[in-house]
Amino acid sequence: MTALLTVEHLSVHYTLPGSGLFRRQPLTLKAVDNVSFELGAGETLGVVGETGCGKSSLGKGVLQLVRPAAGRVLWNGRDLCTLPPAELKHCRKDLQIIFQDPLSSLNPRMTIGEIVAEPLEVHYPELGRDQRDRRVSEMLERVGLRPAMRNRYPNEFSGGQCQRISIARAMIAQPKVIVCDEPVSSLDVSIQAQICNLLRDLQRDTGIALLFISHDLSIVRYMSHRVLVMYLGRTMEYGRRDGFFGSPRHPYSQALISAIPQPDPDIAASARPLVLDGELPSPLDPPSGCVFRTRCPLVVPGCITRQPVLEEAEPGHRVACHRWRETGSARSSG
Amino acid sequence: MTAKEMTPVVECRQLNVSFQTDAGQVTAVTGLDFTLHAGECLGVVGESGSGKSQTFLAMFGLLAANGEASGSIRYRDTELLNAPRSVLEGLRGNRLAMIFQDALSGLTPTMRVGDQMAEVLMRHQGLSRRAARSRVIEALEVVRIADPARRYAAYPFEMSGGMRQRVMIATATLCKPEVLIADEPTTALDVTVQAQVLRLLDGLKRHTGTSLVLITHDLGVVAGLCDRVLIMYGGRVVEFGPVREIFRRPAHPYTQALLRSMPSLLIDPARDLPVIPGQPPDLENLPPGCAFADRCNYAAELCRVERPELRAVNTGRNADQARACHFEPADLHAEPAGSPA
Repeated sequence: MTALLTVEHLSVHYTLPGSGLFRRQPLTLKAVDNVSFELGAGETLGVVGETGCGKSSLGKGVLQLVRPAAGRVLWNGRDLCTLPPAELKHCRKDLQIIFQDPLSSLNPRMTIGEIVAEPLEVHYPELGRDQRDRRVSEMLERVGLRPAMRNRYPNEFSGGQCQRISIARAMIAQPKVIVCDEPVSSLDVSIQAQICNLLRDLQRDTGIALLFISHDLSIVRYMSHRVLVMYLGRTMEYGRRDGFFGSPRHPYSQALISAIPQPDPDIAASARPLVLDGELPSPLDPPSGCVFRTRCPLVVPGCITRQPVLEEAEPGHRVACHRWRETGSARSSG
Repeated sequence: MTAKEMTPVVECRQLNVSFQTDAGQVTAVTGLDFTLHAGECLGVVGESGSGKSQTFLAMFGLLAANGEASGSIRYRDTELLNAPRSVLEGLRGNRLAMIFQDALSGLTPTMRVGDQMAEVLMRHQGLSRRAARSRVIEALEVVRIADPARRYAAYPFEMSGGMRQRVMIATATLCKPEVLIADEPTTALDVTVQAQVLRLLDGLKRHTGTSLVLITHDLGVVAGLCDRVLIMYGGRVVEFGPVREIFRRPAHPYTQALLRSMPSLLIDPARDLPVIPGQPPDLENLPPGCAFADRCNYAAELCRVERPELRAVNTGRNADQARACHFEPADLHAEPAGSPA
């Protein structure tokens, strides 16, 4: 695989005002801390983790919607992080995003035809009106909407249809990469599968690469070729789908996978989910050493003092845990 | 099923719920029947607009002002539907409890969490503030809230979503209710927190004998926790029966399609998921026939003109299973979703 997009040691920090009378020092929240990955053409990388793990910030940092504090995002041999705004705008044609809430990410005062046409107006101003209209009609048809609907407004559509409009808007300028930030989380079960299949179809047809951000591991397994697990801004595990789901190495990944309710009463009856105790620590004050240690069933004193680095457990399968050699047999595959 | 005491605790007969809106009358629930037995967990599954939440809001007298309910929902010997306020207030939070998806809006933002919990005990059981306080701290301990004496004085905004949902569960169970309705209790929660809350509900069901109704769109949650399940579509029950039967041999095309379209860990990700085409039905304009016909792979002419009645499924396994479909289960080429290899 040749990488289309290479992300190296990316960190995204937010500065918050200090609170209290004597704490005037601003606080730094490390939403993403030293995350690296590669994304190839036609590939989907699933980014999973719970609320506050930094998965959305990672997506925004990659697209420079927030400027990363450190690291590089290599695209066509250039680092997006240091690109001047004018050149960055040029790259945006190739890098698009779809958000979780389909209705609030569409301008309510624009018709869906105008919404879908806008990227063409920005990135291909030379196109004539007829050509643009034809491209919009084709795109609407491709995502399963009737071109005759183009004069309607977003509030006339259901959540699933709005997400189709978002996909049409993201796809119309023929980008190379789309960041999908929880694209199906707010949709009904029967509509989730429709949207997932639409994204898979579009990927098959166009070779587009997807950064698929989700908290739902079942959907990530269905959508992704490789998976990256985040916890409090850090990478816990990174590997190919089958290797990851077949034998997850990190205790956090194991807990996440075993916590998924299985739609099968017999499996559910015999399952012994590994339930983590406690709450996610505050990202403003993450634990020392391994950030997962406060909830980890395998914690040893070394975890408090030393931060684990990503080690290769198998070719292409990396894990950040001091005890990964002992976790392999903890859970059989399937 | 286990040899459970099959005493009906709640009986719902011919429930209709509708709303008057500017656009006309919207039908949320039509002709709904169900029975909740003592000590069982009943799953109620459906997508948005299927009527699953409105059914239980009607039971608690909590419909919106433009809502109207007819029919009957009895708790033991008491009719709940359109009952006087005093009757409902004596039962709600006491014998009948409900927890909601959004735990933040279920709690009063300006009151300390412990105080609002204690109020329930002072009101329904006449406890003193002191006695109520110690019971509340015990209840917080049961739902595994660390340092409950300190958390007693916290405000809802100082707690995480998972902690608030556990507070809601603790509050709902303070008076040891006979019936607990949980409306999407884990939908807004992270996976690991969802696992904690489900374990809590499971423990409650096992140890207190409370009858539990779990309203959800997640069939995985139903498989793990429920004894029986009611599948709703367009305001009606399309199928009900024991969880094991429904998951093994779904006898309604909607149930089948729903099970097959779930991207569970059991599917082969290389194959495309079979999807349910189209959109959920328009409640302002329900078709005369089967509400699912437009999205159904099997639909025939009859399905569009005549609504199928809910009829018993002859399983030969002595199970109480019924479904509303013109086709016989054998004609639906049932292949249970996610059958293990």
